[in-house]
Amino acid sequence: MTLTLILEQTFNGLQAGVTLFLVAAGLTLILGIMDVVFLAHGAQVMIGAYAAAAVAAATGNFYIGLFLAIPVTFASGYVLEFLLIRHLYRRDHMEQVLATFGLILFFNELIRIGFGPAALYSDLPRSLSGFVEILPGAPYPIYRLWVILVGLACAIGIHIFVSRTRIGAMVRAGANNPEMTAALGINIKILFRFIFAVGACFAGVAGMMLGPITAVQPGMGEPLLILSLVVIIIGGVGSVRGAFIAAIIVGLIDTLGRVFLPAMLRSVVDQATADGAGPAVASMLVYITMAVVLIFRPTGLFPAKG
Amino acid sequence: MSGIRNLIGLVYEGVKDNRLLWLLIIGFALFPIITHFADLPFWNDVAMRIMLLGMAAMGLNLVLGYGGMVSFGHAAFIGIGAYCAGISQFYGITNGWVHLGFSIITCGFAGLVIGYLALRTSGIYFIMITLAFAQMLFFLFVSLEAFGGDDGMSIDRAEFGFIDLYDPLRLYFLIWIALVVVGMGLMFIVRSRFGVTLRAIKSNASRVEAMGLSPLRFKIVGYVISAVVCGIAGTLFASWQEYVSPDIMHWTRSGELMIIIILGGLGTLAGPLLGAIVFLLLEECLPLLLGAAAPAYAENWMILFGPLLIMVVMFGRGGLIGLLSQLQVRRNARSDHRGP
Repeated sequence: MTLTLILEQTFNGLQAGVTLFLVAAGLTLILGIMDVVFLAHGAQVMIGAYAAAAVAAATGNFYIGLFLAIPVTFASGYVLEFLLIRHLYRRDHMEQVLATFGLILFFNELIRIGFGPAALYSDLPRSLSGFVEILPGAPYPIYRLWVILVGLACAIGIHIFVSRTRIGAMVRAGANNPEMTAALGINIKILFRFIFAVGACFAGVAGMMLGPITAVQPGMGEPLLILSLVVIIIGGVGSVRGAFIAAIIVGLIDTLGRVFLPAMLRSVVDQATADGAGPAVASMLVYITMAVVLIFRPTGLFPAKG
Repeated sequence: MSGIRNLIGLVYEGVKDNRLLWLLIIGFALFPIITHFADLPFWNDVAMRIMLLGMAAMGLNLVLGYGGMVSFGHAAFIGIGAYCAGISQFYGITNGWVHLGFSIITCGFAGLVIGYLALRTSGIYFIMITLAFAQMLFFLFVSLEAFGGDDGMSIDRAEFGFIDLYDPLRLYFLIWIALVVVGMGLMFIVRSRFGVTLRAIKSNASRVEAMGLSPLRFKIVGYVISAVVCGIAGTLFASWQEYVSPDIMHWTRSGELMIIIILGGLGTLAGPLLGAIVFLLLEECLPLLLGAAAPAYAENWMILFGPLLIMVVMFGRGGLIGLLSQLQVRRNARSDHRGP
């Protein structure tokens, strides 16, 4: 267990964390403000990844793929809200779960028909491939570093937007009390649609950045969706700040737990038990964290509703 | 003697009030005759799957429909039940009754712990914490290499004394009897004082509390019962499938159970069973239909299934049971109009 390994895995955890945050940022507002359990947010990740991969393959330019995928996911979020989600606002949670579950099936199958069931792989541009030394003797892939930077930039952008702008104030007001916000003369319908589309967009950005690291395939967004739900619950539904902190925590716990927990267990119990239990406990760690948080703080760490 | 007479009276009343449920269950008893003469043994398999998933959905419905607790993690209990059979077989315990007992105790305990912790939250938080517990167990079994890990393990069918489960018909009727027992048990529970209280808590928990009852305690008991029912279904599922893997407790299965309940009719006894019939028939028939219409896309039947689910949610309030009772009301209205 060297310092280099710890550093490298911490960066991996950060990278997972910021990606999770991009998915969770929109979803926490959708859950908090619109009170919709939107399970198809993972599909937005998938749409973003496929849009970027397809455009990149067609044009041969990675950056054009990224750039064009943003309007695609924005449009998909906008249209989805208009066609279906706005009819779900007044429904109960269970109906929302089912309708958006149906959406997941639909989108996965649509992608399967359009692109085939096999995974797509995309090449990195030369400027982003290769390694950089974060410490002397500790090389780290440039691309992952780039993902962390883009994710942090997005997080800062979202933070400034939510806390400093007029629309951001409306968003916060909506998260705290939607009825009162509407009563103050704010067009909550347009606000909802806008938040939804922007949230979809950020999920899409997460998807397109993940593309070159993981396999782009139908259903790729679902593990991310479940983890981002965990993030949202830990952070407190409707709180962007909570989502950011929780995303980093979850990303670090998940990544570092998988690498170091089996080794740590080995120093406590005998080898065989540790090898058996290590991976099991490591993959449960995130969910255990969430359960513990909820037991002590049933509305998360930073509840948005006062 | 009067006790027995009372019991028979209660059963009679219950069956009379839930005619559809018992008609469906009798239908399942007669179904093998049809498949025998039509020479379609494959459909017996489908019927067994329907009964097992229907049973689990009936268990979940106690929590979801009657108790108003949206649990998004009940597949975990199916999984625990299945692994109770699998792990027992792994250690050479082949007696099915032992499997069932093991499963009831384990699922009851798991339901107690998860229910106790999860029921401190409500709303979206409850949905998510139940999902989290289910995911925890899913990953636990994925990483248990001794029991097959991700790939799962093949197991033999359990031995139920004189019932040889390798005879497909006996397996069928074992599952059927379990369905009868579960149906009867849930019917009594729903009609009992406990069931009434559970429904009262769903509509107004603070009033129930004001009457001096602890809603949390009732909710936990309901949660445990539903967990045990799902566990029984899971144990039989393992024997039927001769195979256990974490797939059985994937989070999408929790979603499936909810779909089945909504499709059939929330908070009704017959609803989940009716929903399971329609759900699994759709799963079997949509590929065939799509294959006939566009052979290249037969595998992509989910492209129709997804929107169909959305339609059910958007337009099918009250599920199939709601639809049936609407038809009934309309027919009654028409006959009233005509006069005697």
